[in-house]
Amino acid sequence: MRKPMIGRLLAVLLLFGLIAAACGNDDDSSEPAGGESSTGGAAATEAPAPAPEEEPEPTEAPLEDVTLRVLVHQNPPMVEFMESFNESFEAANPHISVDMSVVEAGELSIATQTRLTAGDIDVIDIFGFSNAAQPYMTDVTPPNWQTLIEAGLLMDLTGQPFVDLYDAPTIADAGSFDGRVYAINLGRVSYSGMFLNLDLFAATGVDIPTTWGELVAACDAFIAAGNSCMTAGGGDGWPIFVGAYGLLGAMYPDQAALVEGLWTGDITWDDERSVEMFRRMQIYANDMLEDGVTGLSHDAAPSRFAAGDVAMMPTGVWQAPALDAAGVEFDWTYIPFPGSDNPEDNQYLFGKYDQGWAIAADTPNAEAALAYLDAFSEPSNYQAFANAVGFIPTQPTAELNTKLGAEVAPYLANYRVGFEQHWVQPTGAGQWANGSQAAAWFQPFNEWTDPAALAEQAQADLQAGLDASS
Amino acid sequence: MQIVKRNYLFARGWKSAAPIILLLPGFLLYLLIAVGPSLATAVYSFTDATGIRGIAINWIGFENYDEFLFRGAASRDNIDALKRTLYFCFFVTTIQFVLGLLLAVLLNQRLRGTVFFRTLFFMPVILGVAIQGLIWKLFLLPRGGPAAEIFSFFGVTSEFLGGQPKMAFAWVIVVQIWSNVGITMVIFLAGMQTIPDYLYEAARIDGASGWQLFKNVTWPLLTPAVNTNFLLNIIGSLQAWQLFLVLIGYRPGTQVLGYLVFAEGFGQTSGSVTTAFRQGYAAAASIALFMLVLIIALAANFIVSRREKKYLE
Repeated sequence: MRKPMIGRLLAVLLLFGLIAAACGNDDDSSEPAGGESSTGGAAATEAPAPAPEEEPEPTEAPLEDVTLRVLVHQNPPMVEFMESFNESFEAANPHISVDMSVVEAGELSIATQTRLTAGDIDVIDIFGFSNAAQPYMTDVTPPNWQTLIEAGLLMDLTGQPFVDLYDAPTIADAGSFDGRVYAINLGRVSYSGMFLNLDLFAATGVDIPTTWGELVAACDAFIAAGNSCMTAGGGDGWPIFVGAYGLLGAMYPDQAALVEGLWTGDITWDDERSVEMFRRMQIYANDMLEDGVTGLSHDAAPSRFAAGDVAMMPTGVWQAPALDAAGVEFDWTYIPFPGSDNPEDNQYLFGKYDQGWAIAADTPNAEAALAYLDAFSEPSNYQAFANAVGFIPTQPTAELNTKLGAEVAPYLANYRVGFEQHWVQPTGAGQWANGSQAAAWFQPFNEWTDPAALAEQAQADLQAGLDASS
Repeated sequence: MQIVKRNYLFARGWKSAAPIILLLPGFLLYLLIAVGPSLATAVYSFTDATGIRGIAINWIGFENYDEFLFRGAASRDNIDALKRTLYFCFFVTTIQFVLGLLLAVLLNQRLRGTVFFRTLFFMPVILGVAIQGLIWKLFLLPRGGPAAEIFSFFGVTSEFLGGQPKMAFAWVIVVQIWSNVGITMVIFLAGMQTIPDYLYEAARIDGASGWQLFKNVTWPLLTPAVNTNFLLNIIGSLQAWQLFLVLIGYRPGTQVLGYLVFAEGFGQTSGSVTTAFRQGYAAAASIALFMLVLIIALAANFIVSRREKKYLE
């Protein structure tokens, strides 16, 4: 009886061994396909520098089959464009197949970091560089993009021919660090304006508002006529305060100066102007936005606006293609949010550099990755991309040949990078310190009802961080 | 029948090695996926690690703990998150325990349809958190959602998950209970089915009522299941964070400690800005959470041990 028992035990152990061996082989074989150089996992973790010299057979490499791994964030028109671009790229480069992963925008940085660390990605989608620490800021954590560069995880693109196709300010402001280029940025977006249903304005007999007072009166008129004044994707939280960035911009047109003032104490969230801004944010959150937006997602907001009974939708220009997709049947326009009583202050569009491309420094598919960016940057491809996603182009030869392009053209001379891209929170600041988000803290979205009390709390939370950092 | 007792530990040759060899794979696996990362987290909590390959990791002593507990207004928010974690634990544990027990008692009867209802109540357990969250997000849409329609029937309106923090927090408690009450029920059911029928028969002959049967037969003999559920519910609810992420995301006034660990470790996205990855700091927050779980679990364990002694000895 003993021998069969021992035999069974040995068989079980052998099975364990086989499973373990199989797992081990899987790990080894999960190295990127198509790459000739097979940097092992351990070696890869210690050698972040680009390694073109590791390729011993440069003449044969292009003939090898390559799977180019591309990471992008979810943006339906952009993803649709990329799928068609990838098809044409693969047709032009039969040895390259593109494996594109799409993640939610909120998960992009996590996916980027983990896949870069794992050496599992070649081309990444990276938002325009922002939130850099300024000389007047002390004891702050560097932004993610800077950390990735300092870790040697992004390829230095300086001198690549396609970089010259983008305008110099974009390369300098949105893709460079310490004089080297690490990303090409594909477009500016404005997030401080709002879409207007012009047919509803005409039907209600309301003129396009140019001041805060006119906006309040317009909302009253729309609501009295049985329609809704504004909608936004409140279910996702951030569209509420992003929708009020125009109000912030109208009250503080120099947003870089606002950030510096808050850090140095020259401006406070509880000073007279800021309290007035908080009061207007409460009116926007409470009275202007329609009931039920707390459950409306950002992606669903254009469909709600397209229904035709909502007069305005404060959001970013990136929603224009979604508006078309939602089958909007009325005439619309996009204007800066009229948050100030002075019409001159309501002429600015604030925004950010949106999506960009960067390449993993240790990609085994460097040639294919560079070819991908090169093909994407070809002016005809880039033009098609800009039209598809509604970005304000960053290639000087491109134009936004869409309805949105025509509508925002009068304001482009007044385009400015917004607060969100300048702001760096002091370490130790409380959760209410970033007063630019106050619109999302009033009821019904959060608990606050008194603008002055919230302003005081915001300043106290900010000051606590400033004191802790000094 | 003769029972042969074998002492493998003090046996000779193959027999002495067999238990160790058989235990070894499991032990190594436990070291690899449980003990190793736990120790690494403790070590990380004293560093400024970002989790990004290529960035130097510096030893900074207790700085993360100092920041977490004492620095600026952020420490106040951390303490609030800690309190919220305790509230969450209290309500989830209490309600889930009682509801699971009630369902188990009901479904332990010899009635038609019990198998169907057991399956129905257990079904949410097998769904992933993302699916659970999506189902409830749709159900709780304030404009035209099923819950809104039901509420409007009674003349009540609510913003549900998108409303004030306390309201959103309460709904996460509801979803957490809904998604886990099935497992509590199954553990109680398994415990009830080990209780011999003759005990009930004997009690019935003595004239025991339904309540007396439960109080004097079911409840004492259910002690192992009670203790298991008690501890599982406490530990599970203290560590919960995924539903917060899926249902309400980052919103002031709603974070629990588990979510805070995630947000600090992997950055929190607000608008288009994601904060830096602070995995050393997140590790310190994680150790704080671990200490909380440990203290509460030890206290709970003390209580259930006394209970076991009372009923089973």
